[in-house]
Amino acid sequence: MSAEYAYDEDGHLWPFFVFTLALIVTVPLTFSLVNRSRDPAAAFKRIQTSYKHDQADLVDTLRKKEKRKNRKIWLIILVLAGWATMGQMLYLIKTTVAPEAKLWNPYDILNIPESATEKQIKSTYKKLSLKFHPDKAKPDPAKNLTIEDISAHYVEISKAYQALTDAEIRENYIRYGHPDGKQGYSINIALPKIIVSEGNGKYIVLLYSALFGVLLPYLVGSWWYGTLRRSKEGVLMESANRLFREYKDNIDEGGIITALSTGKEFEDLLKGDKADAGLAKLESKILAEGELSPFAGGLSVKDKEKLQNLESGPQRKALALLWAYLGRVELDDAALTRAKFEVAPIAEALNKAFTAISLAYMNTAPLLASYYTSQLLIQALPPKSSPLLQLPYVNSKVVKAVEGDSRVHTTVQKFMDMPDSKRRSLAVGKGLLTEAQYKEAVSVAKQLPYLRVAKAFFKVTGEKYIIPSSLVTLVVKGRFVPPGSEKVPEVNEIDLEDVDPAEDDLDAILGRKTKKQIGKDEKGKPILESTSDEPILPPLAAAPYLARDHSPRWHVFLTDSKQGRVAVPPFTFAQFDRPIFEADGKTPTFAMQTLKAQFQAPPQAGHYTFVMHVVCDSYVGFDTKMEVTLIVEEASKAEEMSSEEEISEPEEDSIAGIMNAAKGGAPPKPKKRKEVAKVESEEESDEESGTDEDDDDTSDTNTDTEAED
Amino acid sequence: MFSLDWWGLVLPLCYVVVLGGTFMTFSTIYRKRKAMESANLAPWFPPHLQRNIYLSLLHMEPEGGSEKAPKVPESVVRAALLRRAVEDIHRIIQIRTAKAACSSLLQRGSVGDDLWQRFQRAEKEMEEELRDVVMEANALAPNWGQTIFQSANEILANATLKERLDEIQAQTEKEKEWWEKRRTSIKTEFMKELGDDTEKVTSGDEPVLVDTNTPSATPSATPSGASKKKKGKK
Repeated sequence: MSAEYAYDEDGHLWPFFVFTLALIVTVPLTFSLVNRSRDPAAAFKRIQTSYKHDQADLVDTLRKKEKRKNRKIWLIILVLAGWATMGQMLYLIKTTVAPEAKLWNPYDILNIPESATEKQIKSTYKKLSLKFHPDKAKPDPAKNLTIEDISAHYVEISKAYQALTDAEIRENYIRYGHPDGKQGYSINIALPKIIVSEGNGKYIVLLYSALFGVLLPYLVGSWWYGTLRRSKEGVLMESANRLFREYKDNIDEGGIITALSTGKEFEDLLKGDKADAGLAKLESKILAEGELSPFAGGLSVKDKEKLQNLESGPQRKALALLWAYLGRVELDDAALTRAKFEVAPIAEALNKAFTAISLAYMNTAPLLASYYTSQLLIQALPPKSSPLLQLPYVNSKVVKAVEGDSRVHTTVQKFMDMPDSKRRSLAVGKGLLTEAQYKEAVSVAKQLPYLRVAKAFFKVTGEKYIIPSSLVTLVVKGRFVPPGSEKVPEVNEIDLEDVDPAEDDLDAILGRKTKKQIGKDEKGKPILESTSDEPILPPLAAAPYLARDHSPRWHVFLTDSKQGRVAVPPFTFAQFDRPIFEADGKTPTFAMQTLKAQFQAPPQAGHYTFVMHVVCDSYVGFDTKMEVTLIVEEASKAEEMSSEEEISEPEEDSIAGIMNAAKGGAPPKPKKRKEVAKVESEEESDEESGTDEDDDDTSDTNTDTEAED
Repeated sequence: MFSLDWWGLVLPLCYVVVLGGTFMTFSTIYRKRKAMESANLAPWFPPHLQRNIYLSLLHMEPEGGSEKAPKVPESVVRAALLRRAVEDIHRIIQIRTAKAACSSLLQRGSVGDDLWQRFQRAEKEMEEELRDVVMEANALAPNWGQTIFQSANEILANATLKERLDEIQAQTEKEKEWWEKRRTSIKTEFMKELGDDTEKVTSGDEPVLVDTNTPSATPSATPSGASKKKKGKK
């Protein structure tokens, strides 16, 4: 009667154990594999065009190659192995017969039905004892029957009989299921016996030490050094360090392109003899006389000097390739052309790191230059070139014809605002666009998402005035009006309002943190991001030259124009709350979009004039720059006004009231006593709202700016 | 007395030795590598040309036949020191502006740790350099050390301004050329129109020197006004 531990000798338990283990590992891996292989770009709409430039196939191959890189072979193998193990285990579970632990049943032993009477039991017992008594039955070697077996059988029979007749033994049988009383139980460990059997011990120790002494440190180490190797923006740390060194306060787009070429990624791409191969040819091509700019690569004289001062090597080649890419220079060399399209996405990724660096300096000019560089890299345009080149089939000759010898570039919007006949007369002609090409260009232009800002204002949720240090929301209202849209409806005044959620609207109040994603429908009801209608994604950027799929983003930030400093760092919007295009993906809806950004108001009252920038990172010339004034009132003035207007005190059962009480504030006064207690309680609530907003302050405001103004 | 089974102890002892040995090797290799890395960090600034000039002026080697080193006029030495101070100011400004950015980027994980190490080393070097310049200045002229950096700062400001002006001036030729071309083309167009009265003036009113950012300029007036109006209402 003791507990005994046994290893799984007949192998009916450990398959369960292995199956469970494999299940735990394989299912999440499978999930991630499926997630990975799903094309993330498939969720996005595309701008409909049939345009293909000469190297479109090459760009497509590079895009596909990048997608393939995301698939991991080892993951696939691991998942397959996992499922195979699970199948094998299932098979084992099914085929292995588990030994049945039989229940001790006196009726079965005596071979009588359970309904038998005492008389029947007695007679059966007598019959059986006559037959199986050790004195009567003879051992039979043929049946492998020994004397022990016979006596054991007889003991069983008498036990069964006693269990049914003797009161004490019956009690035992009822309580423990056995006439002898409590039985020992056995515990099986679901490990195959092989593991502990003699002689295998050293292999197990070896396996154990390999797992914990080699594999675990290796995995932890590779994870740790992997995180150290890449910066937060996903570029190599060394590249980020070099970019930081390249930062200058007066850097322009050309300077940023030069800075980006220092990236270590290019060294990995242009290894060995690739670093110099064809460099001379490449440079002669990009430095040839261009049609629109002094050089074909679109670089300025300063950029050319910088290029030529570099030592020849990967950096110089990368820079030359970048200029060739931006200038859309034909290279007549398969390897060079391929490299040309390969460097651009790398530069685009590096530029993100540069944006983060310039943001840390809080200077407007480099930050803007970095956003502009992103536009240029995505659209394959050199700095200070015509935005019209973003349209399909448009080349330098067409640009020349449209712009004449004007110094300022015609933006896509301006071009599309011209009457169709004028546009056509300028762009269509011999050596220019054909009729079909012109139509294609116009059709693409009419699908570009240009965010036209209708209104931008500041507000504090739930307050009428902006008091110092409160949490201000910058609300930008705008519509996507593609260039050349006809019959643009008038702006609906109601759409421009931004109604606060009702005080008892729990969802809206709790959703305050994700304010950015909250929009409002026509009735002013808040729509949360998590509601059933999914966030609207803008179509993928129309970038035929970029060997990646890129989803456009809009950055909204405030700057101080006098000091050239960023006052409120950028808020990035990649999805919207209202549809941009109708279901056909072409007709714009002109729905009013709401962009919200929260930051802390300056600590002093006054009028603050900021320049608001709305920059799209994918299209050139689609940026908005406008002045907005933030009026911060003295806290005392806001109090006066509010006491005149009698804002409602928090009710006892409202959330504000509960919060008020929870913070130890005075319980809301009954209405009758309001007159007396008004001034006092209002002071309190004001104070509290102030501290409250301090606590959940999320945006850091530039203190320099505030102090100066 | 009980007897010790020495052979039975071999295995645990081996275990301890191997474990300790592994840790020791790891830590020495790791430390050596770290030290190597920090020793091989590239300097933040390029070689200090002005300082080198100044030092070589101070310690002129005697030339060829003559025994005495050529005498460097005092004014030249002073000018060299001032140049060195100007370069120092330039560098110290760079360090000052980069410091906040660098530390915030490091915290966010946008730049690496070794950049920060290089930065701090450069900072320390600059401190030493400034102290050295002050001492040198005091040695050349009493109390000059207190004012040398003020003058250097002004020299630097002046130099940057000049550079900027030159950059702008350099564009004049091109602008002039463009304007001449533009004027003649406008002139010929007007002449054409004058000759042909019936034709309407179409291209003449094309904006010539208007700022490009019209899409931004147009909405700017309305929204700020509108928002003001809204606030006034309340």
